[in-house]
Parts: sequence; structure tokens; C-alpha cells
Amino acid sequence: MKSKKKKSIYKRTDNLVGYVLMAPWLVGFIAMWLIPAVISLYYSFTDFNLLNTPKLIGFANYVRAFTQDETFIQALKVTFLYVFLLVPLRLAFALFVAMLLNKEHKCLGLYRTLYYVPSIIGGSIAVSVVWKQIFGSKGVVMTLLSVFGIEQSTSLLGNPKTALSVIILMGVWQFGSSMLIFLSALKQIPHTLYESAMVDGAKPSYTFWKITLPMLTPTIFFNLILQIINGFRVFTESFVITNGGPLDSTLSYVLYLYRRAFTYFDMGYSCALAWILVAIIAVFTVIIFKTQKNWVYYESED
Amino acid sequence: MKKTWKKLTMLGMAGVMACSLAGCGSGGEKAPAAENTTKAAEVTEGSSAAEKAETSKEPVTIKITWWGGQGRHDYTQKLLDVYTEKHPNIKFEAMPSGWDGYFDKLATQAASGSMPDIVQMDYLYITTYAKNNSLADLQPYIDDGTIDVSNIDENLLNTGKIQDKMAGLVLASSYLSMGYNPDVFAEAGLAEPAGDWSWEDYAEMSKAVHDKTGKYGMTGVPVDDTNIFNYWVRQHGESLFSEDKKSLGYADDAVCSDFIRLWNDQMADGIIPNPDEYASLLTLGQEAGPVVTGGGAMTFEWNNYASKICSVNDKIKMVTPPLAKDSDSKGLWMKPGMFFSVAETSKVKKEAAEFIDWFVNSEEANDIIMAERGTPVSSVIREHMVSSGSLSAQQQAMFEAVEAALPLCGETPDPDPVGMSEVNEAFKNAAYSAFYGQITPEEAAAKFRKDADEILARNNQ
Repeated sequence: MKSKKKKSIYKRTDNLVGYVLMAPWLVGFIAMWLIPAVISLYYSFTDFNLLNTPKLIGFANYVRAFTQDETFIQALKVTFLYVFLLVPLRLAFALFVAMLLNKEHKCLGLYRTLYYVPSIIGGSIAVSVVWKQIFGSKGVVMTLLSVFGIEQSTSLLGNPKTALSVIILMGVWQFGSSMLIFLSALKQIPHTLYESAMVDGAKPSYTFWKITLPMLTPTIFFNLILQIINGFRVFTESFVITNGGPLDSTLSYVLYLYRRAFTYFDMGYSCALAWILVAIIAVFTVIIFKTQKNWVYYESED
Repeated sequence: MKKTWKKLTMLGMAGVMACSLAGCGSGGEKAPAAENTTKAAEVTEGSSAAEKAETSKEPVTIKITWWGGQGRHDYTQKLLDVYTEKHPNIKFEAMPSGWDGYFDKLATQAASGSMPDIVQMDYLYITTYAKNNSLADLQPYIDDGTIDVSNIDENLLNTGKIQDKMAGLVLASSYLSMGYNPDVFAEAGLAEPAGDWSWEDYAEMSKAVHDKTGKYGMTGVPVDDTNIFNYWVRQHGESLFSEDKKSLGYADDAVCSDFIRLWNDQMADGIIPNPDEYASLLTLGQEAGPVVTGGGAMTFEWNNYASKICSVNDKIKMVTPPLAKDSDSKGLWMKPGMFFSVAETSKVKKEAAEFIDWFVNSEEANDIIMAERGTPVSSVIREHMVSSGSLSAQQQAMFEAVEAALPLCGETPDPDPVGMSEVNEAFKNAAYSAFYGQITPEEAAAKFRKDADEILARNNQ
């Protein structure tokens, strides 16, 4: 009896400590995320320009987006194109570099750090400015092209047909976080599998397709979802490098949303845009989750 | 194993999605309005009713914000210090910033009721803020003599009047001009443009400059906003916006397509930069722009351009923009340069008004400002500036040019309608589509009308 009581007290204080330790995060979550999110959902049904009192207008903002707003459609197109090109390229590149780094080597730690650097600094304003200089008119790339006799009146960034590819290239370059996750997953693949394959005389390419890739599918799955969500939220690159131009060819969804909110003060509408984006991301995530039993391999199922 | 991955994925997803929402929600949080004024200010308001004549004894903090470059920040801070020296009870909390982001920040401050007391306001946004009752009516302070407006041109003063409220006091005026580099004209063997030149003269000169020197005849793509287009429309005897601000004011799209075609043709000939070249010219900044450095002949600017860049090149001259040959319509207008507005939520309106009066009417203040914010609005101050001899040659020329430009000026157009920045963007987009060869100038004009009408109708109900 006595011991039981003691135990329950212990348990209760244990929970308390847990909650206390959690409190800073919880407060932050509620104050900075949950409440604004709920408020923005409310604003999305209103006519609100930051200065007036919000006026409820039902689904008018959502209807306007899909029926009257050509720029919205353009921003959607750009963003989908960006995500569908960027994510496979970035994952492939991350996996490639991770395989290279998955070896015993003296300076391995150094290389790992170096290859991770773009991910840390890649989203920053400074690097975007550098890319702007490199690919802009009179930049390094254009100068190099003209050295080889390829003169063009517009730079890669100034041409509506090529500008997005520069933005995508920059995204691919920020492969570091996926690479690190791949690297740790590669280390977890049991060595015995490769040894027995080697004994059987399998070629390296064969072991890659039959052992490495299947064993990595859970990691690919995880990376895929993270990267798709990240891809839909691209902002800094198109904001700093091209500001959506030329001719809205790099106008990302979030940049358009930002412009609606803080250039045109169309706050209610931009909140609606934000929730449409949430819906789009949710749909993609659900679809990928649904398909995982077809292609993701979990060891524990055997 | 499977469960762990699922959990991890879910967790990551939840976090990231929440992040994406936070970006949109953060601007929307509405703090209880007007509760965050300083204690000192509250004390003042309580006592000001009791001792009306002696408003200025209690310690008061005035929050003031403006946009501008480093030069403006420096002398404005000096100005505030001088004012504090004269009125020891008045302290300032200055919040200077660049133009970029200035109105983003102001909108959020206004939404949370924490707008600074004195706000430097632009013609582009004053209607929006006034209509939402964010700006105090300054008329009572003009009526009781706190702000002296007797030396300000009535037309110009009334540009701050929105829906019968004086939403801002105009600080300076400016008008469209063409800045040019005489050296480039000399190099091309051309006579410098004079005030009676026409668009045909402009086309000829800019072409000759490019043909003879290989430099840009004109260094801008003048569709970034609708100011120059507005000038063009007014020369055709029309106005850019309709009376009720719900649609465009001109009837014939040819007015617009002709304007776009002019630049489209000049761009094709290399007389003006293409959008791509223009974007990289812009990154140089005004002081290193091609006209200043001798890489181009002309540029559309406001009339204070020459005095702004005179520390880099003191040879730049200004001329009024080209006239339309067979039209008597006065295209030019005196644009209110900027305003000082007082926040409706401010508790130190009287003190703010006193400062604004000092800023506009005192020789002491204007000797520090040195017309950096544009030609002063007070005629007495203008005379003082000219006679004091402290002006640079460029500024002297600027003051004299104002008198010459006045006969060319028609009525000042109404303040920009709500949604103006969106209209500007639509105009730029339509014109650029033509410049990139995706549509014809005629189609661009039609596209602009369609977009602009939609924007104006939505914003000005």
C-alpha cells in the first residue's frame, strides 16, 4: 500500500517535470504556430487588408483564386514544375554523393562537412545574390559563353525560358540534408549482404539495384516527403534572384502569396492562398503514403 | 522499424507544415489596439486637456519613421537633435529605413495599433491608410494655427486631403523630368535638349546618340510604374483613371499601344536597354547609373535627380520631358513629393503637429534639410533658400527650373487609387510581355486594360 502510493506520487511529479520541460516549446507552438494558423484560416474567409476590420465573405477568396486569377495559375505551374524537376534531381544527386562518401577515407569528415555547407547557406540572401551575379547578364556564365562564341542578347536569368532552370540548379546544389540521411542509412545496410553478393560474383551495378536501393527505400520515402514539402515552399531563391521575373516565369507560389500579402495588402486572399498550399501539400503527402506499400521495403516485415 | 519511420515522417511533416503556416499567420495577429503607447505619452494626454496653452512641458516621446538613404537618415537625425535641444521635453524615437520593406512594416504596425506618431507617407499609399482611418485629420491643427500653411500652394496642399480629411501634410513637390549628360550629347555632336522639345525630337536625339557613340540614348525601361505613361495619357487630353477610380480613364487603347510600341522599337534598335540589361543597370544604383558615369545620354527622373547625384557628377542637367507636337494638353503636374502623416492612434498629435510645422516653415530646419526631400512647399522657404546662397549650383538650377516648369503643369491628379501598386505591376507585366515578343503592343494594351479594370473594380468598391 505504502509503496504503491509512493509510486503514484513519483509518477505524477514525473509527468509534471515532463510538462515543465515541454512548456517553452508548447508555449511557442501555441502562440507562434497554432493561434496564427487558426486566425489565418479565419482571415481566408474574409476581405482583409491589414488596416480594415475583416469582413466575412465566405468562399469568395477561394473561388477568385481558381476562376479569376491568372497569376495564381501561373504561380502554381511554376511551383509544380519546380518541385517535379527538383526533387528527383536533388535526391539522385544526394544519393550519388552519399555513396561516394560512404567509404573509409582520411578526410571523410571534412568532405562531409564541405558537402553539407550549401544546405546551410544555400537558402540565404547572400548566396542568392551571388547566384544572381553568376548567371545574370555580364555574369561569369555569360562571359564564359561569349568566350566560346555563344553570344546571346539575354542572360540565362533574363530569359523566361531558362530562368527557372537556374533556380532549380541552385536547389539541387542544396542536397546536404538528404545526403546526410542517405549516408547514415547506407551505413546501416548489413555488410553481410554485400559480402555474400560478392562471393556470388555480382557486379557493383547489380548490388546497387538489388541490395542498396531496396534497403534504402524507407529513407528515400522519408526524404521524398520532406523534399516535396520543402519544394512547395520555395521562396528565397525566386524572391532574391529574379523576384519572380522575367514575365512571372520564376514566380513561386509562396512568393506570390507574399506579394499578395505585403505588397498589395490583400491579406484575406493571401491567407486563402496559404491554405490552398496546405491542401496541396497534404494531398501529395497522402498519395505518397498510400503508395508506400508498393515500393517501400521494411526489414521487419520478413 | 516500420513504425519508427512512420512516426518520424509524421513528425517531420507536422513540423514543416506548421512552419509553412506560421509565415502567413504572423502578420495577422492583432494586438489590442493602441495599448502600447509609452507611459510618458499617456501622462501628456491626461494633462494636455487641462493646460492647453502649455502642451510642451511634460516629457514627451515622439516616434517618427521615414524611408530614405543614409544621407537622409543622417541629417534627419541631426534635425531631431536640434529640435530636442530647443524643446528639451521632446524626445524622439527615430525608426529610419530604406524604401524596400518600409510599407510592409508600416502595414503591420498599423494593424497592431503601434504605428509611429509621425509617418513619412507616399502618394501611392496615403489613400489606403486614410480610408482605413489609420491617419489623423490634421485640419484642426491647421485651423488653430499649429501648422502654418499660408505659404503653401493650395492645389499642392489639397493633395493631402482625402475624403475631407487632411491625412498628410505635403513636404515637397516634384515633377517628371529628363536628366541628361551634356558630355554624351557633345560626344555625339548634338545640341542639348531644350524645354520646348517634342517626342519626335527625343526619338531623333536618342537614336543619334546611339548611332554615333554606341551608348544608350535613354537608359531606362520607363514602364516600372505608370508615372511616365500617365504623363503621356495626359498629353493626349485624357486621364489615366476614371472619375470613380473603378476603371481606366482613357477610351482608346491606341494611346497605350503607341506608348509601348515606342519603347519596343527603341529596344529593338538598342537605343534603350532590354529588360535584362536594365535589371543589371538597376543593381548599380542611381549614383553609378550610366547617365552619371557617361554610359548613356538621358534618363527619366524626378526633378531633384541632378542635385541628388551632384556629389558624383556635377555636370548632369535637367529638362522637362518631351511635349506632344499637336496637343496643347498639359501633361506635366506637380507631384506631392512626400507627406508627414500623424497616426490616428497617436497620443501626442499636438506635439507632432508642432514638429511638422517647424519642419515645413522654419529656416533653421530647412537649412539642414537643404531641399534633399525635394523642392520645399513653402514659398517663403524657397525664397530664403535661393537668397541665402547656400545652395549648390544644381539646387539653384532646380529651384529656378520649378518656375519655368509651372506653366507646363496642369491640374494635379487625384491621389492614387487603392490598388495602385498592383496596377503598376500589371502595366509592367503587359509591357514586358510585348518587349519579350510574346504579344503585340496592341494585345499588351488590351491586356493592361483588362487587368487594371479588374484590379480597380475590386479595390475601389
